[in-house]
Amino acid sequence: MKDRIIVSAAPHLHDRTNIPMVMWNVVIALVPALVAAVWFWGWKSLWLTLLGAFSAVAAEALVQKFRKLPVSVADGSAFLTGMLLSYNISVGAPFWLPMVGSVFAIIIGKQVFGGLGNNPVNPALLGRAFLLASWPTLMTDKWVPALNRAVKDGHYALSGMNDLSLIAADSLQTAFPKVHALLTTSATPLKVAQTLRDTTWISSLSPDQVANKAVSLSVFENLFDLTTLKSLFAGNIGGCIGEVSVFALLLGAAWLIYKNIIDWRVPSFYIGTVFVIAFLFGGIPGSSYSIGLPFFHIFSGGLMLGAFFMATDYTTTPLTKKGRIIFGIGCGLLTMVIRLVGGYPEGVSYSILFMNVMTPLIDRLTMPRAFGEARK
Amino acid sequence: MKYYITLTLTLLIFCAVASGILAYVNSLTSPIIADRKAQEEIATRALLIPGAEFTEHKAKADTNFVYYVASKDSTVVGYTFIATGTGYAGPVKTMVGLDKDLKVITIKVTDQAETPGLGANCTKEDFPERFKGRAEAELMVDKDIGPTGIKSLTGATITTRAIANSIRGQILMLKADLDTAGETL
Amino acid sequence: MSFIKELSKGIVKENPIFVIVLGMCPTLAVSTSVQNALGMGLAATFVLMCSNMIISLIKDITPEKIRIPIYIVVIAAFVTIVDMAMAAYVPDLHKSLGIFIPLIVVNCIILGRAEAFASKNNILNSLADAIGMGAGFTLSLTVVATIREILGNGTWLNIQVLPKTYQPMLVAILAPGAFITLGFLMALINLIKERR
Repeated sequence: MKDRIIVSAAPHLHDRTNIPMVMWNVVIALVPALVAAVWFWGWKSLWLTLLGAFSAVAAEALVQKFRKLPVSVADGSAFLTGMLLSYNISVGAPFWLPMVGSVFAIIIGKQVFGGLGNNPVNPALLGRAFLLASWPTLMTDKWVPALNRAVKDGHYALSGMNDLSLIAADSLQTAFPKVHALLTTSATPLKVAQTLRDTTWISSLSPDQVANKAVSLSVFENLFDLTTLKSLFAGNIGGCIGEVSVFALLLGAAWLIYKNIIDWRVPSFYIGTVFVIAFLFGGIPGSSYSIGLPFFHIFSGGLMLGAFFMATDYTTTPLTKKGRIIFGIGCGLLTMVIRLVGGYPEGVSYSILFMNVMTPLIDRLTMPRAFGEARK
Repeated sequence: MKYYITLTLTLLIFCAVASGILAYVNSLTSPIIADRKAQEEIATRALLIPGAEFTEHKAKADTNFVYYVASKDSTVVGYTFIATGTGYAGPVKTMVGLDKDLKVITIKVTDQAETPGLGANCTKEDFPERFKGRAEAELMVDKDIGPTGIKSLTGATITTRAIANSIRGQILMLKADLDTAGETL
Repeated sequence: MSFIKELSKGIVKENPIFVIVLGMCPTLAVSTSVQNALGMGLAATFVLMCSNMIISLIKDITPEKIRIPIYIVVIAAFVTIVDMAMAAYVPDLHKSLGIFIPLIVVNCIILGRAEAFASKNNILNSLADAIGMGAGFTLSLTVVATIREILGNGTWLNIQVLPKTYQPMLVAILAPGAFITLGFLMALINLIKERR
């Protein structure tokens, strides 16, 4: 209301883009991933997502009532936050988890700072960070295998590995009980990669372990052979509701880029950086180099979801083109640092949160100079 | 100039008085503290292996490693020692009681500064249960060797791992020392 | 009369945590459990009382230029005495407060009160100020700790208050939980003040 007079430099262009249109379009673009989740895990993924989304809407409406502000939940931003938050949890999670996460994301992540447009970091990711810190076991140990996949012993479907590496993994039982335990219980492909990397870092190996190191390496190499990559691309692996199907996410992303809602720069530079670093440093000592390795890294974990749907949020990413390139590269670097040397198997959410905080600095650094302004 | 000398002298006097008081209080309390620590150690040892007599031994290879041999009626029934590992917020000291086959009877965390509610839960009563009856090879946390391992404290795998690994290390040292000492015990 | 006034102001009107926003380091670090909060609060109150009295006593012989180092010496001496006395006579509490006792030295409430109050007022009022501020500090710490311990551990003063099926919200006893709780409590107090 009070911003009726807009002061800005010419030329002035108006189009019909507004907040509800942007938000609901992003929601539409997220639907294919939800369809994939329902296909792989059944209806529970839909209920979890809807619970998260509507809890966010309810929380936003309540806070706005309390602050005596006009209730603006119809713009879809709270719905989108809740939906993205639910996409970040596993199907094995209890129903209250997305609800608590969404309420936290909306209240602490967004409304406390003044609502839409004022949040310093992506509220959905903040909600995820909160859930991960509060209930680590519910967030990382509850992976569920896909419904319609031929499952060996009911276990291995999570890591997306082929039968050869499964047989190989069995022989690891004595030498690397830790690796074997991981492969046979629950794990996402990235967790398997991290564990195998840890194993090869052990400096003093007993003779028994040296013999088995080769097996370990072959299991690692099988992570990025064609069979596994196909599973990863389709989403036939363990993971969070919205992150597993690269194909479905790319479909949604294509829609958003076609509608000119998201900038191509952040996702391309983000994914590109991950690709390059994975190609250069992704292997473990002794493993062969393959073009499959960087593809393994860009197809697994939450990278696609994060790069297209979270690192492109208007409020929390840089305004300038140059700034967005820096943002994308920064996210890619941090993600790979966390994945390759960090304590967590996956680093997409923390890297985007970190770069969100850096956004004001990047904006200041890359602000275009007014014509005729002196270079400092 | 004279003003600054006055300032210096004033500060010096304050410091001297404060140090004097501190020295006096220290002389009062330090014997009590040392006594209490020693008492605690004896009490803990008795708790770990009840009704035994303890004799101190220094490891031959590394005289910093001190362990106590517990005996009843001059037969060896077990060993105790203190294991120190690096937890999330500094050193974690654990007193360990082993039976004569070097399996854990029970443990007691005596010194730690871990996060209250998370790592600090290692001082709770149900924690030693997770270690009971385990031999050296089984003293690994579940995150490292799978479900057969020691169940980690919620949100405090680092603490649990530090304790388990420190005990494992000390058992190895004890084993080595017992092997070299042979029948002298 | 002024004794009562100086005593009560620290609890609500000039609450050191929520209003003056002093002593944030111990507030954030020690409020993980009610037991720790009470221990820290009482230990800090004791040091505050001693230091306020001594500083008020020596205010006439303290040269203006070196007053801060002198205050620090006085405070550090009392903290060390408390540390040693607690280790000797209440070892359990000493163990659970651990690192926080030496940190009382840098608790800015103590230096703040020495500088802002005790160096300008007589012994009796300084003592009242110390008791009030100490009570306010202990109370605030306990309130923060109550919320954090119940949410983050399901207990209050180590007594189970939430059903066993409650899965503790661990973030409440981690550092972010401290900031969030403190922020909400400050907002609440500002809201109450505004409504008045």
